[in-house]
Amino acid sequence: MPALSQRQWNVVLVTVLVAGSLFIAATRVPPPSGAHPTAAQTDVLADPAPLPDHPAPDLALSQLDDTPVTLRDLKGQVVLINIWATWCPPCRAEMPAIQQAYAAYRDRGFMILAVNQREDATAITPFLEQHGLTFPILLDRDGQASATYQASALPSSFFIDRRGVIRAVYGGPVPPRMIDGIVEQLLQERP
Amino acid sequence: MYPLIELGPLRLSSGGLLLLSMLVAQWLLVRAARAVGNPTLAEQAARCVYPALLGAAIGARLWYGVFNWSLYRQTPSLFVALRVGEFAWPGALIGGELASALWCRWRRVDLLALADCTALALPPAQALASVGLLLSGEAFGVPTGLPWGIPLFGAMRHPTQLYFALAALLSFGVLRRVARRRPLRGTLTAAYLGLQGVTLLLVEALRADSLLLPASVRAGQVFGLALVLLALLWMRWHTRATPNVDEIPHVTARDGA
Repeated sequence: MPALSQRQWNVVLVTVLVAGSLFIAATRVPPPSGAHPTAAQTDVLADPAPLPDHPAPDLALSQLDDTPVTLRDLKGQVVLINIWATWCPPCRAEMPAIQQAYAAYRDRGFMILAVNQREDATAITPFLEQHGLTFPILLDRDGQASATYQASALPSSFFIDRRGVIRAVYGGPVPPRMIDGIVEQLLQERP
Repeated sequence: MYPLIELGPLRLSSGGLLLLSMLVAQWLLVRAARAVGNPTLAEQAARCVYPALLGAAIGARLWYGVFNWSLYRQTPSLFVALRVGEFAWPGALIGGELASALWCRWRRVDLLALADCTALALPPAQALASVGLLLSGEAFGVPTGLPWGIPLFGAMRHPTQLYFALAALLSFGVLRRVARRRPLRGTLTAAYLGLQGVTLLLVEALRADSLLLPASVRAGQVFGLALVLLALLWMRWHTRATPNVDEIPHVTARDGA
């Protein structure tokens, strides 16, 4: 234990407090480039990541009919990325609620990207027809998109606002009222 | 990064490593308490683990929830959801300490002696849990051009999870050295909190997913600075009022805890 007088200890404490505070101020999170604050919106962190308040990592996948889709092209719309598979019971269970939200909000700028994990059209198409699902299904054949979004649980859902920022993340099925509530809120925000 | 690592038949995920780290912490805690030469303390340590873990879980989730209030306010059930990624270490430390303190008071157990043992038990467990963070890509770093950057989310980034693990191992080394000198009761706890503070202050600065206070200040760093000041205050107080050394049980690292 260093043999300091109480006075010297006070100097040490104040010095650490000041130096620490300056260091904290100097290493604050810088604002993301190009971002401009809007009402009722939270701080946005600069780096793309599958977490709330981060810009959503880009996705570039093909639909069932081989049409390419990228998340970047949907900027300006509210997007729900839902990572799913037909063999996953909770995924199947939440699909009707997702379809309902798609039908209700599509015209106001809401888009769903249902990213199917490692299945092919023969497994997916009968399921879509059976449940009358009309939103875009993207094929994540090699699981790369699921890995990028760290979807260790199925289903996994990511709600993305008009700026392309993730605002809510769910591992497991999302209650239907939550889907409506979040989408309503995000649609009301302006980019 | 994918949140699974395969070791032969074992598939370890970040959650699995977190669980494993808790078991390691419990084992090391009992071992450290036994090394003091007080079998009663070892028994008490083994029992204190459960309220401490519960307190840590509650604190960790509350901390995360408060800093993600816009989401948690909409869905309060998230506070009790099984979401391993949504725990925060500062909250775990506060919650664990508070729960332990209450339990020790209730059971009339020597809190400081137990806390000193915990100081020797936590760092290796934290190193293990940090590897879990790496597997799940959480607590990730800002982009860097340094040669030891790791690829994540489309950029080479500071391996902040490994920095945390390294800092925990270094802290463990320092604490073991301190323990060998048969320090006064509470010294190991203060040293541990101080080292945690320095770690948070420095490594949080390189994180890209910090929980934020107003003005984009990183909450973890403020908490870290508070810990450093707390440790210094303890040292100042200690130099003013030195208790009777001979009456105090000591924690030693002789038995490898």
